[in-house]
Amino acid sequence: MAAFFKKPLRPRRVNSIKNGPYQEKKQTHHPSQSLLLSTDIDSNLNYLKAIFQDCSDVIFREFLLAQNEQIKLALIYTDGLTDKTQISEQIMRALTLEIPMVVHGEEITRANALHFIKMKGLCINQVRESQKIEEIVSAILSGETVLLVDGHSTALINDIRSWEMRAIEDSKTETVVRGPRESFVETLRTNTSMLRRKIKNPNLKIEMTKLGEVSKTDIAVAYIKGIVNQDLVTEVKSRLEKIKIDGILDSGYLEELIKDNAYSPFSTISHTDRPDRVAANLLEGRVAILVDGTPVVLTMPYIFLETIQTPEDYYEQSFFTSVIRILRIGSLIASLTLPSLYIAIISFHHEMLPTPLLLSMAAQREAVPFPVFVEAFLMEIAFEIIREAGIRLPRPVGQAVSIVAALIIGEAAVQAGLVAAATVIVVSLTAMASFTIYYSGSITIRLLRFPLMILAASLGLFGLISGITIFVVHMAGLRSFGVPYLAPVGPIITGDLKDSVVRVPWWAMNKRPYLMGQNNPQREASRLKPQPSRPKK
Amino acid sequence: MIKKIICLLLVLSLVLQGGCWSRKELSDLAIIMAAGIDRTPDGNIRLTVQIARPRAFGGGTVRPSAAQENNAWVLSQTGETVLDAERELEKKVSRKIYWGHMVILVLGQEAAREGIRSLINFFSRSPNARETLWVLVARGKAEDLLNSHSQLENTSAQSTGSVLRDAVGVPVMLKDLIMMLASKGTNPTLPFLELTASGAPQGPGMKENIPEAKNKQQKVTETHAEITLTGTGVFKDDRLVGQLDVPDTRGLLWLTNKIGPGEITIPSPAEPGKKISVNITRGKTKIEPFYDGQNARFEIKITMEGDLWEQQSTEDLTDPKIFAAIEKRMAQRIEQRVRSVLDKAQFDYGLDIFAFGESFHRKYKKEWAALKDRWDEVFANADINIAVEAHIRRTGLTTKRIF
Repeated sequence: MAAFFKKPLRPRRVNSIKNGPYQEKKQTHHPSQSLLLSTDIDSNLNYLKAIFQDCSDVIFREFLLAQNEQIKLALIYTDGLTDKTQISEQIMRALTLEIPMVVHGEEITRANALHFIKMKGLCINQVRESQKIEEIVSAILSGETVLLVDGHSTALINDIRSWEMRAIEDSKTETVVRGPRESFVETLRTNTSMLRRKIKNPNLKIEMTKLGEVSKTDIAVAYIKGIVNQDLVTEVKSRLEKIKIDGILDSGYLEELIKDNAYSPFSTISHTDRPDRVAANLLEGRVAILVDGTPVVLTMPYIFLETIQTPEDYYEQSFFTSVIRILRIGSLIASLTLPSLYIAIISFHHEMLPTPLLLSMAAQREAVPFPVFVEAFLMEIAFEIIREAGIRLPRPVGQAVSIVAALIIGEAAVQAGLVAAATVIVVSLTAMASFTIYYSGSITIRLLRFPLMILAASLGLFGLISGITIFVVHMAGLRSFGVPYLAPVGPIITGDLKDSVVRVPWWAMNKRPYLMGQNNPQREASRLKPQPSRPKK
Repeated sequence: MIKKIICLLLVLSLVLQGGCWSRKELSDLAIIMAAGIDRTPDGNIRLTVQIARPRAFGGGTVRPSAAQENNAWVLSQTGETVLDAERELEKKVSRKIYWGHMVILVLGQEAAREGIRSLINFFSRSPNARETLWVLVARGKAEDLLNSHSQLENTSAQSTGSVLRDAVGVPVMLKDLIMMLASKGTNPTLPFLELTASGAPQGPGMKENIPEAKNKQQKVTETHAEITLTGTGVFKDDRLVGQLDVPDTRGLLWLTNKIGPGEITIPSPAEPGKKISVNITRGKTKIEPFYDGQNARFEIKITMEGDLWEQQSTEDLTDPKIFAAIEKRMAQRIEQRVRSVLDKAQFDYGLDIFAFGESFHRKYKKEWAALKDRWDEVFANADINIAVEAHIRRTGLTTKRIF
């Protein structure tokens, strides 16, 4: 049977995928790839103008250097991505009006113009040189301002990027009561700065690459050297290198392109918009991938138990956290199995209920025309519709929809005798339970609930248990960048159990997670347990 | 990949093609709360069942009407065996008969006299009924006992189940009865219950026919009757041969180490006309058999702890002498109770109903083989010594009487 599964149906066309038409297209698409600038500014300008033909947001500004009017200069930048005041004040004004003040009798010639402008003329703090047209084009498009000097085949690239962006706000998806509020924004540089503010250490490495043949999206791979397992970084980078895609608009693209098991409904990469969560992950020896244009940051490896963990767990008292985590495990199990358990018991295992409960259930079911499976299934779908509507609906109609939904599900369905009250309780409890756990875990659970309900309706508890067994076997086989998905419970790692279902206080969690941080396992000094200092005798 | 998916779908269809074969919707079940078995004059089985009527329980928005509705439907059918009678019932009952939540099994007095093995065989064999259901003997017919209501519980079956569980009488589950029947070391005992008048009827549906009142005094049938525990039925093997009253039942509970919460009332040592009541908090009985090759002898050691909760007399409870006197009287009272039921078992019935044979078997394994078939005889001739130790641990909220 296993051999049968392994046998491919037809020869795989691996080669055609690997060396597909994509790479050929790429070559024709970018003629400027390895070209260099010439010394003639006009031909350079013509060349660039040809590239940016019909790009109305790319501005060309030609002017003359104040001192020696023979030297022609040109500024090229993208409107909207640069700080116009700085261009006017620090470049234009400096080069046309103020440069005589710094000359001190020195002669500016065509030959030393570039050096002079860079060293004395520009009042810009970040300036680099480049001769490659490709680099210049990409610099212009990412908001840098390029200065061409007549007679030089080198361009000065000034970083005075500035654009409209969203302010840093509270996290929308993972809110906390106690702990930092800030969340990532759409600008990669702001996001890396938020990480840098939390980890002020040169070992925090943020390596930049560009992905997306058309979109040229900036991607940053962040890790802490000395803590992270260097093989993990290599693996992450090699998976990223394989990506050939036209554009990357969100980190979700990357997640699907680099995850371990392509067909698994479980996510093996965590995503978050909280800098503190990313920083904590980095400190444990994980790798983060930041994508420009989205506040959602990926961290990996990701293990299943993180589904029931929140950043707040580490800020709140450990006893409280442990209790809440146990509660979340209950919610996780409830949101996965409660409807199927209900179906199985009502239609197969009536013995499992205490007699008074059975009688009360029987009384409720008297008036209901559908079998319990149909009823629960319809209610679950109704709830999913409401949830989806709640996300998509325009804000002003929100209240109207929620009232209608509450009336339909809560009241009318029961009063009309279409649905038993117990079913409503089960469905709403299930729904509420799914909100207590980490969002990307909860959508998986939401999905898996339905096959379990079908199994429970056809085979009762036996079906339910076999379904759960299949899930557990599948999860036990999953790896996230080499880390078993069910760790530290799957392969039992006793040290890591300190931060699993319970969380021990910080003074006792002195080791990093074994499978991620064994490079540098010690997280804190031992014997940190606080106690009042003893009076000296 | 496609082949994998097809394979997966085939496996899935295997699951679904089964067609949910044992699925029974809750609304397709006739939930039996109690069953009663009598014998018809021609030797057939008359099965009476009490079926819960879910509609009357008013779950959710379905409220019961103001008038008392019948929570249960009691009906009887005759068949050659219990299963046969159940099949007969199916002709009338629109839903599938479901035994899983049956609370009590009532055996009619007459049917029990003729032997209960054949009556309970169905319930012990069928996987549908629980072995934890309570078995009892009804005074008169089981059918009449089941045709009753409870003022507090939904059905009289549940109320009876609770009364039995509280161990006022001997609590016997079906599994206990099966073990008692299978054992040579004891004879079965079953709680004995009957309908007794219990206050005014609360509605038109709450009037019961008390069997013995039918002919004598028609008025009594206008009362409400609850199923009441009135003693213990004594069996010789599987035939009902006699009945113990409630005080003897307490003695039986002491001897079988099943004493639960209860009280002991004794006359005050100082003022004989006035009484003292002690609430039993713990009671323990140890039975040790001895055998000299001829006669069996049993040493019974009972220890009891209790709280003094009522004192009509005025003696000073802080005085150790008086305290000791009270404890001594309590011990005597327990011994009286125990001796009384022992005498009945040994001399009136000649039956071991206390499972003394079991403890004898445990200690004298070899000798037991020879004795087991005439055990009741050995038991009837055995010497039995009783030693009771009673302690009063607390005297309630007050020590000395203050008013």
